[in-house]
Amino acid sequence: MGAEIAALMGFFGITGAFALIGTVLAGWMAWRIVEKAGLPGWAGLGSILLSLTAVGAVVPLILLWVFAYMRWPRDEPAPASPGYAPPPPRGPPPPTGPAILPPPPAALADGRGWKLTGVLGNGGTVALTVYGGPATYALTGALATAPTDLSVPDPSVGQPHARLMTAGQRLGLEDLGSPGGTFIDGARLLPEHGPRDISAARIIRLGSVELSLTRA
Amino acid sequence: MGDPVSWLLGLSAVLLFSVVIGHILVALLLIIPTWRICQRAGFSGALALFHLVPLIGSFIVMGVLAFSDWPNGEAGQQRPVAGR
Repeated sequence: MGAEIAALMGFFGITGAFALIGTVLAGWMAWRIVEKAGLPGWAGLGSILLSLTAVGAVVPLILLWVFAYMRWPRDEPAPASPGYAPPPPRGPPPPTGPAILPPPPAALADGRGWKLTGVLGNGGTVALTVYGGPATYALTGALATAPTDLSVPDPSVGQPHARLMTAGQRLGLEDLGSPGGTFIDGARLLPEHGPRDISAARIIRLGSVELSLTRA
Repeated sequence: MGDPVSWLLGLSAVLLFSVVIGHILVALLLIIPTWRICQRAGFSGALALFHLVPLIGSFIVMGVLAFSDWPNGEAGQQRPVAGR
């Protein structure tokens, strides 16, 4: 009988140790995750510790849903600082390429541009070519009226919808806040994210139009 | 009443089925918000499917979110222009 009791106590001791380690680990990771979103780390730790209390797992589950759908401080527009110039939210593209996409220090000599190809909602196709060198292009659902306009004639594409920037061997994309949204390989790009390097991206979605990005 | 062994086997199957369905339902409650969190962080939403792995699945998702750089940028950093 004593052996059985000892075995049971050992089992529960190990289980308790695992639970303790799991809780500490989860609290630490939750702290880091909410900090990355711009919230105080103790909020994440607290939500994990709540699972140890009488409220059980329900409140942490609700907090998880709230965290997923709330507005994160990370997404707030960053305050102006000497090292960072926030992009203008809308309007025609500036005449020159932005200084915030400098060429990489060890860029290879590569004169190729980029090609965006896709199928429109009406079944038509679109093929756009962006050449290397510092330049800024406007992706728009309207007809191209300027050499820097890249027309994607689809109702789901804003006018303008997004901005493409080339600098060195890099290609940048900035959402201009159109309702259809802009996605990079499935991830939503918001205007407050500013320009993003899409040189290594494969699929760009403007509204409902998916464009495959390849080197020209 | 029937064979007790068959009766026990049937009961076990029903219990196992209930546990699996219950696990999937609970995982779904975790997968939906986590899918959105992963997407907002810049990862594929499918990462949230790790919640389907019993016991350690949630730790895997949390570990990726906690200890890797978020492609869509993190608070306190300058907005990344270069992709990682």
